[in-house]
Amino acid sequence: MTALLEIEDLSLRYHVAGGTLQALRHVSLTARAGEVLGIMGESGCGKSSLAAAIIALLARNAEVTGGAVRYRGRDILRMSAEEQRQLRGRHIAMIFQDPMTAFNPVLRIGEQLVDFQHHLTGVSRSERRARALTQLQKVGIADADLCLRRYPHELSGGMRQRAAIAAALLMSPDVLVADEPTTALDVTMEAQIIHLLRELQTDYQGAVIVVTHHLGVIAELCDRVAVMYAGEVVEEGLVDDIYHAPQHPYTRALLACDPAAIHDLARRLPTIGGQLPDLMAPPAGCSFAPRCPLVKPRCRSEAPPRVLLSVDRMALCHAVQA
Amino acid sequence: MSLLEISAVDVDLPLSGSLFPSRRRISILADINLSLARGETLGLVGESGSGKTTLARAILGLQSISGGNLAFDGAGLRTAADFAAIRRRVAMMFQDAQASLSPRMSVGSLITEPLVIHRVPMPDRKAKAAQLLAQVGLPAAMAGRYPHELSGGQARRVGVARALALEPSLVIADEPTAGLDVSVQAEILNLMSDLKDRMGLSYLIITHNLSLVRHIADQIAVMYLGRLVETGPTAAVFARPLHPYSVSLIAAEPRPDPRKRRADLAIRGEIPSVLRRPAGCEFHTRCISATTRCREEVPALRHIEPGRMARCHYAGALNTNL
Repeated sequence: MTALLEIEDLSLRYHVAGGTLQALRHVSLTARAGEVLGIMGESGCGKSSLAAAIIALLARNAEVTGGAVRYRGRDILRMSAEEQRQLRGRHIAMIFQDPMTAFNPVLRIGEQLVDFQHHLTGVSRSERRARALTQLQKVGIADADLCLRRYPHELSGGMRQRAAIAAALLMSPDVLVADEPTTALDVTMEAQIIHLLRELQTDYQGAVIVVTHHLGVIAELCDRVAVMYAGEVVEEGLVDDIYHAPQHPYTRALLACDPAAIHDLARRLPTIGGQLPDLMAPPAGCSFAPRCPLVKPRCRSEAPPRVLLSVDRMALCHAVQA
Repeated sequence: MSLLEISAVDVDLPLSGSLFPSRRRISILADINLSLARGETLGLVGESGSGKTTLARAILGLQSISGGNLAFDGAGLRTAADFAAIRRRVAMMFQDAQASLSPRMSVGSLITEPLVIHRVPMPDRKAKAAQLLAQVGLPAAMAGRYPHELSGGQARRVGVARALALEPSLVIADEPTAGLDVSVQAEILNLMSDLKDRMGLSYLIITHNLSLVRHIADQIAVMYLGRLVETGPTAAVFARPLHPYSVSLIAAEPRPDPRKRRADLAIRGEIPSVLRRPAGCEFHTRCISATTRCREEVPALRHIEPGRMARCHYAGALNTNL
């Protein structure tokens, strides 16, 4: 499988009142063609900053302090604003958490889907409309013709998310980033969107990156998973290995406390205990050390090594043996 | 004797927003029968639009009922004065914890405000705030903070402290873990369980998160389009749901295990509009087992097994093993 997107040793910080916040520290990841990569983590772990970096939509107070995000070999973070604009939507597209904010509320869905094809040259307006119609049908919208004439608020949440997926796929991008694609939906609609993404994946040649805190969504959709904690990728591996043989103590703790993973009735659920470290002043050693059940003295002083367990498997931990 | 008794409750609303004023009323809730024993937890589940929140509002007197009876601790609830009288004993935890806290009040003022409103003598407001914070596992210093300074989990704990300030008998919790990370979800659930044991609380939990209900509720009530479709002990309902809608809801939950991916869709389509209520069984448009009878004849909520009821012509006869 060819690597479409390579994140190399990326570090990013935000300038905030009272200092700088180290949002990403030395993140390295690869998204390959035909594969779904999951980025899993809790609030504040840096997964949204990473998604923003991938689509070159960083906040104004963000500063890349090292590393690169390479798309087909070129660092997108060092491209001009115009080059980045050419890239977005066409080669790298995004599905947002709240499909209501992804669409312009005062334009009909059809007009927006036509406008999203502005990258195409020599294609007439009616052809663009026909392409939009086909794409809506592909994402399972039965009366696609009617949908084109609707305003975003006239669609249900599930329909809106389908339309947003159609919009993202319009230009057949190489990389599709889905940021919490089902979080705003009911469980029944969530199941349908997961199903749809899986179906689309079968004839999609690009790379899909799913960013979510929902462990169930990652398990249902992804081939490979990167687990993030406090701005770092702490473990990476095939989805089955991550869920069935987690190596990093954080991954283990996170999987253990998901209420959905505990089948029998439990009045008390396991928790992780403690809090995320202050990213204004990240700890010198391992960032998980203050909460880790296996902590040793050197974990508190020495940064943990990137232990490569196999081609696809990595854990950032002193306790893991290669 | 049960603490809360809901008997044959209906809620109708006048049809508004159309060009011509009409006398037509639409049925939002019909024939709701539920009872909640002291110290018991009832989970009310269903998709958005199933009427869960309307029912909670009716219990609090925020939505007038068009038929049936509500009783709290043996006393009927009819007039505004009846509802005002129970307001000290029934507390509400709102879905969006952060938004439910006034941004201009400190945490200390927020959690002691219910005592001020109800003119409960409070010799030392600071000490009371500290005591309430300790109850929900927050340090006393938190009293000086403002809502925007709180994390999602902390805001939720403050919401719990505020709900418990008047030492209620019943707490209605609307999506108590929505938007929280899994590790924080587990912490909030544990806190709610502990407080229940310590204070002898009853909970009515409104949610579409089934994995949450599984661990916290003694009884479960499944709603669809403003009707109860199944009620029973939680463990029994999860082990063998009787209504096809309950089956679909349970099956739709994404499982955090890549080895248990769903091959097919648990449920198709969306919940219909209350303006276009399907004839016969309301669920027939999405039910995989629907027959001609289901399209024509409205099923009644009937006893299937001791303590278990379902609104399905074929309840008990369908193979609903998950």
